[in-house]
Amino acid sequence: MTDLGETTNTEWADVFEAVERLYQLGWTDGLPVVPPADFKVAQFLESVGRSASEVIGELPERRRQITCGVVAANAVMAGCLPEYMPVVLTATEAMLTPDFNLVGPSSSLGGAGILVIVNGPLAAQLGVNSRNNLFGPGNRANATIGRAIRLILMNACAAVPGLFDRSVIGHPGKYTYCIAEAEAETHWAPLHAERGLSAEQNAVTVFAGEAPRQVRAIGDPEAILFSIADTAATLGTSLSTSGSTGDRSVGIRQGEIVVTIAGDSHLWRDWSKSQVRGYLHSRLHRSLADLKRARVLPGPVESGDEDQRVNLVGGPEDILVVFAGGEEANMSSVIPSWGPKVSSTAVTRPIPPQSG
Amino acid sequence: MTQSNNQQYTLVNPTTEAVIASFQGAPRLPSLAGTRLGLIDDSKRNADVLLEELAEVLRTRYEISEIRWHRKPSASRPADPAAVAELVSGCDSVIVAVGD
Repeated sequence: MTDLGETTNTEWADVFEAVERLYQLGWTDGLPVVPPADFKVAQFLESVGRSASEVIGELPERRRQITCGVVAANAVMAGCLPEYMPVVLTATEAMLTPDFNLVGPSSSLGGAGILVIVNGPLAAQLGVNSRNNLFGPGNRANATIGRAIRLILMNACAAVPGLFDRSVIGHPGKYTYCIAEAEAETHWAPLHAERGLSAEQNAVTVFAGEAPRQVRAIGDPEAILFSIADTAATLGTSLSTSGSTGDRSVGIRQGEIVVTIAGDSHLWRDWSKSQVRGYLHSRLHRSLADLKRARVLPGPVESGDEDQRVNLVGGPEDILVVFAGGEEANMSSVIPSWGPKVSSTAVTRPIPPQSG
Repeated sequence: MTQSNNQQYTLVNPTTEAVIASFQGAPRLPSLAGTRLGLIDDSKRNADVLLEELAEVLRTRYEISEIRWHRKPSASRPADPAAVAELVSGCDSVIVAVGD
């Protein structure tokens, strides 16, 4: 077998001992994992034609190099199938780019999850769920791809809770946080096409985000968007902290936001994603008075502060709209970014075509 | 070796170790008097308060001759290499403050 990096020889009598042994090794996220046996890791690497020693990215602040072999080992442990490897690898590469600045969201008190959004034909081929129970349990691809990313964060990127991961409350999406867009069921351009790739390409978008907040609304698109904007503009999110609104000298101080919109796509027949973003952007603000009351911005509330509005996202392009979720009802979700764009920005990367 | 029917496995280590390149620290200053001081503010709340107080103490008690400031746009981003180069060429010592 080719060199797979550092290995450990071990043994166990049965599956129950195996589960406990993996806990003892300290490699789990708190749930049982699949043993990263050499032959399984080799199979995962073969599926993408990569070698174990190939470095796919670095985390310079923690002096870590991330190799394909380590990614494959964590993907095996998460319960992935080998065919998920292209998604896991590309998502890992994306979160190790300077724009994403992983050291921030993987260490911060703010407790980000890394949301992985899969676009392109591969999403359906792998069975990545884009409909009912979008963020919920029950689907292997979503559950294990997102979990692989978390295991890579913990094992390979040292984002261990209590060590470098200093989240105050964290959120359930830190176990697994992976969705697809229901591209075939909407006339809207898919997310990756809006972010510079062609719709036929496969792509992954990584986004450091808070937990999804569900938005229940009925009626016409404008009523739904009105409710989404109201939810997104609440006090207490990362978008309405001093870090995001306090220093106007920095042009991209504000954050980003992911909005998922479900329901019958026919309802949106007269709307484009661009119009949705424009509508939301024009309403994503708080008054200076409210930000002062919440001590987000300093000073007493003065006359005129009620009418002075502070934008919570910089521009319409900072709103990532994804058509996803069950079709039975108009449930949406709002996911504020962990922090301002200057600290971490959503990154979309194409998944390279696989040979053979 | 055990005599049981245990199954043997070779596991691939999914973790990484920090790889720290060796480096040589800058020579220590024998005295602060008349030297130029650089300050990097990480932009978190109160980092500037802390640094301003520190600068005042260093100026009055240790006769620092000149102070240069650099404020990072984000605490979690590394300092701009151009700003670091400027501090290196224009200062004798640099202090970084982490506020919060």
